[in-house]
Amino acid sequence: MGPDDILLIVMLTALTLYALLGGADFGAGVWEFTTALQASDKERQHIYKAIGPVWEANHVWLIFVLVILLNGFPIAFAGLSRALWLPLLLALCGIVFRGASYAFRSHSHGSHRELRLWEAVFAIASTATPFFLGAAAGAVASGKLAITSTGEYNDDYLSGWLSPLAVFTGFYMIVMCAFLSAVFLFREADHVNDSELKLLWRQRSLSTGIWMGVLSLGGLVMVELESPSLVAGFLSRGWPLILVSLTCGVGSLVEVWRGRSTRAVIASSGAVAAVIWGWGVSQYPVILPPGITSAMAKAPDNVLWIMVGVIMTGAVLLLPALAYLFMLFKSNPAEPKRVES
Amino acid sequence: MNFTNLMTVATDNLLPARLQMAFTLGFHIILACLGVGMPVLMLAAEWRFLKTGDELWRTLARRWSKAFAVLFAVGAVSGTVLSFELGLLWPELMGRWGSVIGLPFTMEGFAFFLEAIFAGIYLYGWDRLPARVHWYTGWPVAVSGFMSAFFVVTANSWMNAPTGFRLVDGKIVDVEPFAAMFNVATGAQTTHMLVAAYLVTGFSVASFYALRILRGSQHPYDRRALTLSLLLALPFAPVQSVVGDWSAKVVAKSQPVKLAAMEGLFETQRRAPLHIGGIPNKTTRKTDYAISIPGGLSFLAYGDFNAEVKGLNDFPDADIPPVAVVHVAFQIMVGIGTPMVLVTVWCAITYFRTRAWPRSRFFLWLIVLLGPLSILAMETGWVVTEVGRQPWIVQGYMRTTEAVTQAPGVWEVFGVTLAIYFVIGIGTIVVLRQLAQQPLPENPHGA
Repeated sequence: MGPDDILLIVMLTALTLYALLGGADFGAGVWEFTTALQASDKERQHIYKAIGPVWEANHVWLIFVLVILLNGFPIAFAGLSRALWLPLLLALCGIVFRGASYAFRSHSHGSHRELRLWEAVFAIASTATPFFLGAAAGAVASGKLAITSTGEYNDDYLSGWLSPLAVFTGFYMIVMCAFLSAVFLFREADHVNDSELKLLWRQRSLSTGIWMGVLSLGGLVMVELESPSLVAGFLSRGWPLILVSLTCGVGSLVEVWRGRSTRAVIASSGAVAAVIWGWGVSQYPVILPPGITSAMAKAPDNVLWIMVGVIMTGAVLLLPALAYLFMLFKSNPAEPKRVES
Repeated sequence: MNFTNLMTVATDNLLPARLQMAFTLGFHIILACLGVGMPVLMLAAEWRFLKTGDELWRTLARRWSKAFAVLFAVGAVSGTVLSFELGLLWPELMGRWGSVIGLPFTMEGFAFFLEAIFAGIYLYGWDRLPARVHWYTGWPVAVSGFMSAFFVVTANSWMNAPTGFRLVDGKIVDVEPFAAMFNVATGAQTTHMLVAAYLVTGFSVASFYALRILRGSQHPYDRRALTLSLLLALPFAPVQSVVGDWSAKVVAKSQPVKLAAMEGLFETQRRAPLHIGGIPNKTTRKTDYAISIPGGLSFLAYGDFNAEVKGLNDFPDADIPPVAVVHVAFQIMVGIGTPMVLVTVWCAITYFRTRAWPRSRFFLWLIVLLGPLSILAMETGWVVTEVGRQPWIVQGYMRTTEAVTQAPGVWEVFGVTLAIYFVIGIGTIVVLRQLAQQPLPENPHGA
């Protein structure tokens, strides 16, 4: 295993964590968007309290994926930027509005109407962003990018990310975020032992979970129709992960049904992670279809080894800090004493 | 698309792409500076609370931390925009040079991550953690903010003084990422930027509280906030003039054409004059209306009044940056730096004589002005660095035209970006004002 493979594993891990943790944060906004008219203040507070402390950290996983791609596989980074110029810009637009409106909503002392405005911006941006990121990912999976096989420009900048598979992936991503968020919030409600919220998020986990199952099977059909190269990868290498994903998906529904929230979180995370790894493994060694492989895009080996060293050193600092953050805010069910200054 | 076609697209995209980069960077850099400096102020105020037990210090630290939370959140997303823009606007730059100069970005990824984690702990930990532990969790925020800025500026310094690779038949070989990171421009440029970050934070915060005192606030809260922020800013003002001088000497060595543009020096000469003010005229090839100090530039750049300084006339036309922009921006930056140093001297003398700060309204007004001016100085400094490097994106190796995207619609994107950032900018100011207008505790010494 060369340093490029190590970095691909690190990148896929970071992408998975972004999908899970960032995805659950996106999902919270999706729920605000879809239930804007019925949600009570209590529900909103529950959401905001759950994502507040971990919000910024969850966002950084995306930056992390990006810088490793830039540093380790510069040609793929450039090709991706060219091919997905528009959806990435639209996703950025969503990221800006989401991050800013969330901070404004959390700290504003303005009128009720002002708070509602920022909430609305947050909800809309939280729904739009996973769509565009999903469409970008779907475009890569479809292999129909607006670049030539060496990563140069192709005239048609809409091709790829508006293909049926890409648009489907965009919507799939929204549902995935909503599902993860529902299960995560179910666990939060379970921890504070609020039966009303527990019931609500249990129902929502179940309904979105069933949708996830249907869409996942539909997604396999879409891939079969649209991306023959990915299908070949699935058949030769990726299939065990597809099975893992389906098993975890069913398992998560069972655990939610039984009311075991922590197990449900683990199972639903496993289902999502297996989809991402199934995709990565099936596509390997191609990073950017049709033509750009890891070997083509990678930086010189000495650079990659230095990166591996930097990442390992960084991880020694990062992982305990991250563990501390989550221990502090995610495993302590007790309400903090509130002292307003 | 054939080659000529590509070149036309590149030229058409150059201006909007540069404007887009300049605007989004110029916006982010203000938040980045406050992100580096604010944690220091929060920690100082909280430290006073731990020392004295005076709740008012805690109130101050806590309120600053809320402002920091808003600024950090907006800075995080405007920074995300920049990291994407590296590829979206300049795909050729990253595709070709990413392996040489990507390492500081990877490191910055970690620094930003640690900052985000501890920002979460610090901001939401006020009531969860013991007082001293809470104070400790603020330190990583300050340190990783500092490191983030350092890493990103090393990447920029490489664009000014590229090294750490060899070109063989146009191919990049023998890449040494650490040599690239620590190039001749790194030391001066990173120090200049970090000091600028503390200056901007100190003066901006001081400006805000000076205005409140001028408007009649008698609350010790405002006095203390003013004192702390001035204590951050003032010592750095003279430091910055020394670092700035160091920076100019590095530019003289690594980018002589940039130095000539900064000074509006057209003719190569010994005893080269230092131009103060003035407007360089590209047709007459003279800098008009400037005050000239004979030999001044030779001395500043090389420490010798008789040293020869190369003028713009001796560089090929195709390699010369927009002289007027660079010269004027440089004059503004230096012009703002000077009163900062004078205010420091004033405060030092007054304190030495009376053991107190200057109290006149004139002094307070000066501080009010220095807030926005410090931001202007920092922005014009970046104009000098970036416009002064044109027409190169990687000095001597890649022209900006070669790096720019060939995607359609860059002007439209720029228009939309302006609109979005306008909304976000207004939102930030509105929320910060609301935070500032929250009533203070009645008893001036309790919370």
